[in-house]
Amino acid sequence: MNSLCPVTPFVAFVALMQSVVEFDNVGLRYGAGVETLTDISFTLYPGSFHFLTGASGAGKTSLLKLLYLAHRPSRGAMRMFGHDTITLPRDRLPGFRRRIGVVFQDFRLVVHLSTFDNIALPLRIAGVQEKDLRGPVTEMLAWIGLTERADARPATLSGGEQQRGAIARAVIGRPELLVADEPTGNVDPEMARRLLQLFAALNKLGTTVVVATHDIHLLQEIEGAQMMRLDKGRLSDPTGSLRHPPRPLVLEN
Amino acid sequence: MLLDFALPEHDRKLIPEGRLSGPMPWVIAIMLFLTLLVAAAGLTLAEAARQGGQDLARHVTIQIIEADPAQRAAQRAAVTRALRKLDSIAEVKPVPDADVRALLEPWLGTGVIDADVPVPALVDVRFGSVPTAETLTRLQSTLRSVAPNIRVDSHSSWMAPFFELMRALLWLAAAMFLLLLVATSAVVILAVRSTLNTHRETIEIMHMMGGTDVQAARLFQRRVALDALLGGIVGFIVAAVVIITVGGRFAAVEPGLLSGAHFPYYGWAILAFIPLAVMALAMLMARMTVISALKRIL
Repeated sequence: MNSLCPVTPFVAFVALMQSVVEFDNVGLRYGAGVETLTDISFTLYPGSFHFLTGASGAGKTSLLKLLYLAHRPSRGAMRMFGHDTITLPRDRLPGFRRRIGVVFQDFRLVVHLSTFDNIALPLRIAGVQEKDLRGPVTEMLAWIGLTERADARPATLSGGEQQRGAIARAVIGRPELLVADEPTGNVDPEMARRLLQLFAALNKLGTTVVVATHDIHLLQEIEGAQMMRLDKGRLSDPTGSLRHPPRPLVLEN
Repeated sequence: MLLDFALPEHDRKLIPEGRLSGPMPWVIAIMLFLTLLVAAAGLTLAEAARQGGQDLARHVTIQIIEADPAQRAAQRAAVTRALRKLDSIAEVKPVPDADVRALLEPWLGTGVIDADVPVPALVDVRFGSVPTAETLTRLQSTLRSVAPNIRVDSHSSWMAPFFELMRALLWLAAAMFLLLLVATSAVVILAVRSTLNTHRETIEIMHMMGGTDVQAARLFQRRVALDALLGGIVGFIVAAVVIITVGGRFAAVEPGLLSGAHFPYYGWAILAFIPLAVMALAMLMARMTVISALKRIL
């Protein structure tokens, strides 16, 4: 260690990284029905990339809803960004949601807003000034190839264009956790590759990414990505690597 | 909180606002028109009761009951002289016998009353200020020295049932005013709930992106405020036309019981304030409705 450390008045030390998401025996039940998710346990650390797979009805969307705080678990323990989100007061949830980017399966762009305004929406909700958001949104529009469609309403966009808009909206705020439900389902292979590159770039900057997909070939596109497989509401984790992944170390001053 | 009315243009697009396009501004206009008419009626009644009451309370009529016409005339002259000497009295007006007979003709018939019928002599008295019961008793005893059989009738006592009726009508107007405000609030709540259902998807998306209940409520507050403002302007203009027109008709009515019944000038300030108050009430109802509805979702 000493040979690596320059002479400095600060003392460098190694700390254990705090998890972004921790699920411990989480169960989710809608109303009085059967459990949709059962005994889900996993831990996500900053900078990790996960593909969530499973057959239709396996509970992928339900698990994502827990991750983007649309629901609270019916049982078990759930921590996000170091806080117990089960007991977290409702009025503190918006602050947590602003740290999460979501790509919905059905895009859910606001129909009255232009592509530009849809992408700018999370920044405006977070209170970013107009002068500060114009540049990033314009840049994002160029990146996803929708500069020419900046003023178009969602109804006039193709499925692929809407999906790119939805992804841009999810990542514009540089979220700490990005949750995407089938984000490449409606785009051509080239655009799918570009969008995954965008996710990977964000991931390299420290964003934890969870992508729900049926396409297991996407796994090969991201180096070091982990697979989370859901089967009838249960998470397959035979080695325990999802529940207890190796805890990354971080160098702190 | 109510100053959240101003929103940046991009936020306004989240829930499109149509100027007078939906039923809401028109419903508010009708409700406000009725509210303003009730308020105007209440204010007119209150003003009439206040002015009429003050005017009547200063008037008394003195009846001189004497069978002998010559004695009666002499006593009336003596009472008139005695009254004119009193500083507290502003005006003394002996009522001519012909006028008294004319007053009785509707009950007794034309030509029936002649000099032999012992009709009391009347003297109208107007005090400078409203007399107390004690003043009236003292006046009666003073006048008995010149006319033993006299009666002092305060106008306010025989007009009391009329003013009771006016007060009852005033309470009725106040109750109707409150009921209309409640109905307007109910209309706003229903309209906001309907709009909330229409734009549930947008609100949910905002929520998932970290939008707060207050941010969502602001969008509705603004929309409702604009509807209430437009409805208020229309309702106020129509109500003002009706009030001015009816007020003109009242002014043409012969002075009498309705002489004090005119819409007071200060009433216009109150009427102008009502649409603004309704707008503020509508915004408050919208905010409460949205926040309470959003609390039901996570």
